[in-house]
Amino acid sequence: MTAVKDLKLEVKQGEVFGFLGLNGAGKTTTIRILLDLLRPSAGRASIMGRDCQSQGLEVRSSVGYLPGEMGLYRDMTGRELLDFLGRLGTRPVIESYREQLVKRLELSAAELKRKLREYSTGMKRKLGLIQAFQGDPPLLILDEPTEGLDPLMQESFYELLSEAKARGRTVFMSSHVLSEVGRVCDRIGLLRKGELVLLSSVEDVRALAPRRLRVWFDRDVNGPGDFPAKYEIVEIQPRLWSLRVHGPLGWLTEHLSGLPVLDIEIDEPRLEDVLTRYYREESQ
Amino acid sequence: MNGAVTLLRHSLKRVRTLVLVMGTLLSVFQVVLILVAGSIQRSSGFDQLGSLIPDFMRNLMGPSFIGLMSFSGIVCVGYFHIAVMGSLVGLTIALGTEPASEIETQFMDLILSRPLARHWVITRSVALLLLCTAFVLLMMMLGTWTGLHFLAPSGAEWPTGELIRSLALNLAVLMVCWGGIALAAASRARRRSVAGSVVGLLALATFLLDYVARAWQPAESIAWLSPFRYYAPLDLVMGKQIPAHNLWVLAGVAACGFGISYFLFSRRDI
Repeated sequence: MTAVKDLKLEVKQGEVFGFLGLNGAGKTTTIRILLDLLRPSAGRASIMGRDCQSQGLEVRSSVGYLPGEMGLYRDMTGRELLDFLGRLGTRPVIESYREQLVKRLELSAAELKRKLREYSTGMKRKLGLIQAFQGDPPLLILDEPTEGLDPLMQESFYELLSEAKARGRTVFMSSHVLSEVGRVCDRIGLLRKGELVLLSSVEDVRALAPRRLRVWFDRDVNGPGDFPAKYEIVEIQPRLWSLRVHGPLGWLTEHLSGLPVLDIEIDEPRLEDVLTRYYREESQ
Repeated sequence: MNGAVTLLRHSLKRVRTLVLVMGTLLSVFQVVLILVAGSIQRSSGFDQLGSLIPDFMRNLMGPSFIGLMSFSGIVCVGYFHIAVMGSLVGLTIALGTEPASEIETQFMDLILSRPLARHWVITRSVALLLLCTAFVLLMMMLGTWTGLHFLAPSGAEWPTGELIRSLALNLAVLMVCWGGIALAAASRARRRSVAGSVVGLLALATFLLDYVARAWQPAESIAWLSPFRYYAPLDLVMGKQIPAHNLWVLAGVAACGFGISYFLFSRRDI
């Protein structure tokens, strides 16, 4: 069985790259190859010009990693884990930065003294984020970073991410949350059954998405006979038209000029509309 | 190197309770054996025991068995009692299979995502095995020394220091040998339970092989395969020198186990 096939992917320094795909698409396998936890049967991966396998030590000294599932010893405390992982790295942990992370992700000093067996899923995730960020590495590899975080903590994480980006750090993250990807990523790559089927900037993908549009009328109107090809009808009622529009609205504005329009609502193009199409194709 | 020391300290911290408890228990066992031997000695029980053993039993069991019917012999039993050997081999298997446990719990992902070469994980386990083996056996020897100095009846013939050291050394090398085998298994396995069970069953099978071969000639031809064959405590009790060949064989198996571990672990998928 081939987990990842013909994957050619380059992530630019200083960008936030979203790595997407359904479960089993090969996202985590790719990440584990980058960290030399898995050895590819063919091909090579490099980070910052260094081969991930033959120069793995140099590569990993520049990486902060958050695994999808945190394997932890339940009898360790949060503080012990952070200290232990900090000492294993070659980049010195800046204590003040770590304390700042702890504060922003709302883990108290008392909680850090507690055994990990008492931690909730969200607390473990916060601890995972702190250990990945604490050395302020040039590259962050994050596997499903917001899994298990509450909305407030997700906001804190997005802030941390944007600050890291502002400092010139590169982020490679896998995610299932498409709204999150649309919000924080500069570019995305989509894996399907181990193959890269989409590699694009978020803006370009958004441009592919149709806009949702609803028009209300203050009295009954007849629907137009034919809509142009780029107009997709969702619902037509005497006083409401609901459409999906690909491209500019030119034809519609002309057509509506003679009609009793009460209100128009246009939603921004959503990344999800394009990506779910790819996902559906995979599941079929 | 710094990372390796951190890793070793972490592992020592994790196993300290187990090793301390085992060291203490075995040390107390030594003291208890000395109390029992002292009690028999004070009641002149060894002479009576000796006279109770029929000639055919003496011939069957050999002179080493008679050697055990003394204060010194009973004191030495602690170094080759089946429960002691079983616990010590079990301990080394538990220590040697730590890498498999770290892979199973995915803790290894966090460790190896740091700039730490894979060989340090194995070096850590080797160091852990050597340190814990040395500690437990030193605790046993301390128990023996304490018991003899404070609890032995006057006039009792103590085992010599050399005999105790030889027994402890031979037992230590046997433990390290099983540690090497366990580490090799753990370097391939994804689950500690699998590695531990395989090596545990192998230990039991080879122990039985050695035991059976002593009485059943056909088994003798393959008994050399058992590491337990190279631990001959009764010969030591009877005053023989510790055979260097035995130590080399056990140390060689341990070294092979460690070598295979380095090889397998450096090439495996985590």
